[in-house]
Amino acid sequence: MLSGNTPRPVFTGVSAPLSLSFSLSLSLSLSLSLAYLLIAKCKTSGLSAVRGKVVYVLPIPWCSNMKIKSQRKSGSVWLLNMQSRLHDSWASAEFDLAQIRLIVHQDCERRGRQVLFDSKAIRKLDPSEPNAEETKVPPARSGACQINSKASQKESPPTYQYTRPASDVNMLGEMMFGSVAMSYKGSTLKIHHIRSPPQLMVSKVFSTRHGSSNTGSTNTLQDSFESISQTCPSHTSSIGFWSLSSTTVALGYPICPTPQLLVRSASFFAAHSNPVDMPGRGHSEDGDSGIARSASLSSFLATPMPSPGSSSSSGCASSYQRRLLRSQATSLQHGPIPRWSTEEMFSLSDESCSSNPAMARRKKIAVSIIISLPEKEEESHSFQEFFFSHFPLFESHMNKLKTAIERAMIVCRRVAEASQRVQVYLCRVMEALGEFRMTVWNLYMAPRITEPVWLTMVSQSAERNQLCQRFLKEMSVLMEHGAKTQFLSALLTAVLMYHLAWVPTVMPSNHLPIKPVCQKPASHTVDLLAKSHPYNPLWAQLGDLYGALGSPVRVCRTVVVGRRRELVQRVLYILSYFIRCSDLQENAQPPGHTDIPANPCPALYSAPLSERTNETPLIPESEAAKPPVCTGNTNDKTLSANVDGANDAPVSERTSKKAPKSDSAGPSPLPEPTSERLACADPGWEPFGDATDPVGGGLEHILANQSPPVQRVKFTIGSPRESDHDGQRCGRGLHRKLPHRRLADMRRNESSDSSLGDSDEEETASPSQQAYTPATETAREYELPLPSCQTESRASVNHFGRSLLGGYCPQYMPDFALHGISSDQRLKQCLMTDLEHTVLHPALDEPVAEAVCIVADTDRLCVQVATSQRRVCEPGRLGRDVMVSSLVHTLLTSVLQLHTLNIAADFCVMHLEDRLQEIYFKSCSLAEYLRGQRRVHVKELGLALGIESSDLPLLAAVASTHSPYVAQILL
Amino acid sequence: MNALVALCHFCELHGPRTLFCTEAVHPPAPSPPQPGSALLGDREAEREGEGLTMRANSSATQRADMCEGCRSLPVSHPGFVSVDTETGIRFLSHQHPRQAQLFSVVRQACVRSLSCEVCPGREGPIFFGDEQHGFVFSHTFFIKDSLARGFQRWYSIVMVAMDRIYLINSWPFLLRHLKLTIQSLQSTALKVFDSEQGVCPQRAVRMNSAFSPAVFPHQRSGNAARSLPSLTQHPNLWASLHASFSWLLKACGSRLTEKLLEGAPTEDTLVLIERQTEQEEEMNAEGAGGKSESAQCRDFLFGDDGKGEEYCGPNFRSLRHLRQVLGAAEFRQLAWHVLMGNQVIWRGTDRGLIQSAFNVLKTLLPVGCVRVEAYSSQYEEAYRYNFLGLSPDVQIPAHVSSSEFTVLVDVLNVEQGCVHVVCDDDVLSLYQFSISSANTQPVDKGPTLLNKLEVALTNENLSVEVVSHCLLCLKEEWMNKVKVLFKFTKVDGRGRDDTQKVLVLLGATGPGEEDNVRLLKFWMTGLSKTYKSHLMTAVRGVERTLSQ
Repeated sequence: MLSGNTPRPVFTGVSAPLSLSFSLSLSLSLSLSLAYLLIAKCKTSGLSAVRGKVVYVLPIPWCSNMKIKSQRKSGSVWLLNMQSRLHDSWASAEFDLAQIRLIVHQDCERRGRQVLFDSKAIRKLDPSEPNAEETKVPPARSGACQINSKASQKESPPTYQYTRPASDVNMLGEMMFGSVAMSYKGSTLKIHHIRSPPQLMVSKVFSTRHGSSNTGSTNTLQDSFESISQTCPSHTSSIGFWSLSSTTVALGYPICPTPQLLVRSASFFAAHSNPVDMPGRGHSEDGDSGIARSASLSSFLATPMPSPGSSSSSGCASSYQRRLLRSQATSLQHGPIPRWSTEEMFSLSDESCSSNPAMARRKKIAVSIIISLPEKEEESHSFQEFFFSHFPLFESHMNKLKTAIERAMIVCRRVAEASQRVQVYLCRVMEALGEFRMTVWNLYMAPRITEPVWLTMVSQSAERNQLCQRFLKEMSVLMEHGAKTQFLSALLTAVLMYHLAWVPTVMPSNHLPIKPVCQKPASHTVDLLAKSHPYNPLWAQLGDLYGALGSPVRVCRTVVVGRRRELVQRVLYILSYFIRCSDLQENAQPPGHTDIPANPCPALYSAPLSERTNETPLIPESEAAKPPVCTGNTNDKTLSANVDGANDAPVSERTSKKAPKSDSAGPSPLPEPTSERLACADPGWEPFGDATDPVGGGLEHILANQSPPVQRVKFTIGSPRESDHDGQRCGRGLHRKLPHRRLADMRRNESSDSSLGDSDEEETASPSQQAYTPATETAREYELPLPSCQTESRASVNHFGRSLLGGYCPQYMPDFALHGISSDQRLKQCLMTDLEHTVLHPALDEPVAEAVCIVADTDRLCVQVATSQRRVCEPGRLGRDVMVSSLVHTLLTSVLQLHTLNIAADFCVMHLEDRLQEIYFKSCSLAEYLRGQRRVHVKELGLALGIESSDLPLLAAVASTHSPYVAQILL
Repeated sequence: MNALVALCHFCELHGPRTLFCTEAVHPPAPSPPQPGSALLGDREAEREGEGLTMRANSSATQRADMCEGCRSLPVSHPGFVSVDTETGIRFLSHQHPRQAQLFSVVRQACVRSLSCEVCPGREGPIFFGDEQHGFVFSHTFFIKDSLARGFQRWYSIVMVAMDRIYLINSWPFLLRHLKLTIQSLQSTALKVFDSEQGVCPQRAVRMNSAFSPAVFPHQRSGNAARSLPSLTQHPNLWASLHASFSWLLKACGSRLTEKLLEGAPTEDTLVLIERQTEQEEEMNAEGAGGKSESAQCRDFLFGDDGKGEEYCGPNFRSLRHLRQVLGAAEFRQLAWHVLMGNQVIWRGTDRGLIQSAFNVLKTLLPVGCVRVEAYSSQYEEAYRYNFLGLSPDVQIPAHVSSSEFTVLVDVLNVEQGCVHVVCDDDVLSLYQFSISSANTQPVDKGPTLLNKLEVALTNENLSVEVVSHCLLCLKEEWMNKVKVLFKFTKVDGRGRDDTQKVLVLLGATGPGEEDNVRLLKFWMTGLSKTYKSHLMTAVRGVERTLSQ
């Protein structure tokens, strides 16, 4: 079953193998595909709808009832027990663990490129099941994929055999590192799409960091690989046996004698590829400006936002602020400003001592994940949509994997014996890869809450009343169930405290609602912001779900544990109202719309070549007809309009000048056969058709650089400042006022190759112009209409609001903002490391101060909060118990009492919102009180503000979303 | 989108070159006014300066090695601009970006996409980048050229952004649309290629011409200089590309939109907006007047202190101040009457002082419950005004002065003719206040709101601002109770027993219960029309499905 032994061409396009290369994991694939078959069956049964558009009304529609029972026998028979009204997992396509391949590649100046790991070239040797493969890790008892991390270690550690790496590793290596050495020292991220066989490759390339000892490198590892290849170790080694067939190539051994030479010759542009030292823009090279910029930006970021109590604050102040800052922080307008330390390296030593930069420069290590895409176009498409929209999560797990590989390399070096060393290395990396595969599988396949209450209310209000009724009913039941321990109150206290995205949804708006009062208004300001200062809505949503709205930034997720499925699902359902985020919509062209502006030459398709040369078809006709052609006989008129009469500079200067010397940049002689046509191919802008237009005609003449430019027109408008301001500030109004084809001042093009004009300037510039030298750089561009095309807006499918609210899952998963699990066994194993990892490599793409996990145990009816800031807690416990906020408790009680008094459900929910708003107002009082204080007297708070000590943590957390200073005073 | 798009070319003579670049220039931060906007302006200025240095540096080096193939717009061409009128974003196209920072970023992206990164098959998408140089989505492709080596030329379109995640999230979208752009260019060029080959088959020419190393480079230099417009026979290609790229930037930025909800406006806001709308309608009907009232509304929305500043005679600055001046017991009595909805009459000569007293006192109530006649020369009925200022000589009708639902404050001058003393002086030294009411109810039990407010007022550690926040909290808390009671009694028409249950549930019972209930009932009259009508319609079950 090993396909790895036969080298297969990958990129040549010759005979791409039909089957996925990873038939390695036969039994798993079989069992999984059985599962999928059943899922697929269910999907077509019409009960579950198209993914993402699930809008079916069912009695208990919130969670998947999918239950995958497995009886792990030798034959591993899988039973899928699907209850009738079930929902499938997120994924629409199958996903096989073996679709994920890991390659670790090294690029060393001295040794060339070596493969340090290729999961495709590894087979697991299990004494009991000789043909088993490493991926043959049966998905766990309860249906999620669970790698036998702990279980198998109890038995005996697996042994691995490394066979000849697949033939594509060379090419893949070149893709990872690029064909030219880069001088950049930080880590680089790359994504490649490989067409045949269809694969996505995500690579992170790191420079290496060494400890003081020179042995701290992969050399040791390579050496041991090499030694193994020479001395075949015994099969009875204590760790495992290392089998070498004659075809086995040792890991790390240069695959071809001179790999780089090969690479070069394969490279088409070898002639041009001197090692490129990139125009560095590091702080060292570009000194002041870079630092000054980031400093000014950070001070900008630190500027306190308007207090929530202040009059100008609109409802979504904190949401708005967060998004605006994101837009600013990721803006290109001020040049690239690194937001993160770019010093992320690959450690080859656990000593954190001085790294040797000279060494670091020499070696790079690439960690690449290659995902085989489904063959079917549709499935491939849907997986890619999922992958790219969820990339931050994938990346975060890749970072985890990278850390594990680092550890593996470091640890294995301590092993003296070569064969054992390799085994230790392989075992560790395989285990980490197993984790990675499992996490990805779970992320893709796990059941989701099909109707999260909040998002459903946001997106559709038609069934609002029913929804409210169901919500209150479930909440009442749960309230009763956990009455003794105030379970629900405790849980909600924690959720409201950490998943803070509810706060902006209750901050009062200042606008008259267009819709009925019960429906909260959509934030207008945020909407406007998104249009004028685009930020990534997916990022915003992720932050919402993780509650990253406070200061300092904390991210949180909630796990509901319990053996009673219904109970857990009820809790999940209720929490899906309180864990909030924005809803996303996708604007796309209606299908079948081909005439879109992305196509630059639409008109040319039909037009015959000969007729085309003289026409100017660049703008769709409808648009071309639209702009009122400026037929005014004076440029001056138009121009003075431009500046709103604010110009004091000379307006239209037409100076004749001598033609520039014909140098290399000048018009070159045209090739013979096509000269006639090419003469017309003026690369410059031709005005819309109207040749009689004096202005346009003149322009045409002037701009045609095919003929030697005899004349040059120079218009100067306004002062330098003004021209800039016009553009920046009143550009919009300006442009609206003017005809579309406004004649701009045609100053020298400021693009860098415009040096031809250097001498012109001296000749033509009037003294007044010279005073404004900077101004003359700002040219007025020709205005063209912005093409538009019809889009239709539909509910976005691949967004975090739909994907990170998990259902009742068989096993703990790290990514979900909310999910339920039956047993906390794995949770206990992983939680602390997961939290620490979250702080180190936040998927949120912004620094995170603390990671928190709320664990609600429905069996024991208790709620704990675990945090990455491991404060002392009792052994055997995940975190600390939650103190019930009396505000939350009374809120819940009164809402539910209203419900029992038969008050309309949607009114009860409105009341709930009002009460949440009260919490927000209280937090404002607290913030106002703390302003300018250094210490808090809790007693005084209680007396004066009516804040009880049990409410203080909640109110402080809420206050920190609008008044960042609060945390500093309280913590 | 916070990004730029560039067309790059691997010139056979000059290597990787940026041909054409479209940037999005965003307007300064929109309203609400941001503290950073000034800074932003500074940076713009700074930016401009840098652009200069860049040009100075780069033009000299670039100038020597340029050919037709490496250039897009002619030297004299000012570039293109398109404006998105809805958002104010301007899309600018030039051969190179205008800023030095971006120039090197694009240059880097260009070089990497065409000579460093390896794409299987050499045509296709790659993502690469780092925090220092920005992140790049690149798509490489060939364009047919009958005169080029291998009959094709190599190009790439790169999209550069600092937001790595955003760019990666957009991969499927970008790929889809760049493919269209590329295919359009390719197929257009292919037609040109085919027709050129028809005229003069290059393969034959080349096979027949003798290869001479000495002549070769010169031969080729001419051929290498073909521009993309000539390869596609599209004279206005750059303008078209500008349109395509601009659209791509816009469409990519608006591909996903957020629906983000904010809290419902408070009752106070609703009432103010309603009043304003009414006044505007009246003004439209009458054509003039009424300005002061709407200004008053604005004061209410944005804090109450506007009036005090205009009037600089002696006045009340805050509830705490009022309480200090009147004395705790008197204040309590007065506030109680205000909260119960009784008519509060102030009678005196100092119009400004009375106005300021009303401004302070009305903060105790929801906006909907406030009806002020600041100064009148005749008595007005309680249903018209619950705050009534009167000149000293106005007689109050007997039925009013004997009513328990009225409280009268007489402002008596201590010294004569001393009104123009330095403003803000001690009100006490100027006036005496005598409070009278026929009310026999105890005012020291409730309402709960007043009890809590007094605690805050008494605590000198709390600033006036904190007290007003506390008051806001209390008012909102009680307003929410009012809503429930309204729903329960007025909309659903429940009986006495049920109502009592609701009162318990709301925490309105216990000591001061009677006052609490009176307060709730009075405040109910202050609910906004919007809210009331919503509840009424909702209960009739109308519009439940139409409410979207």
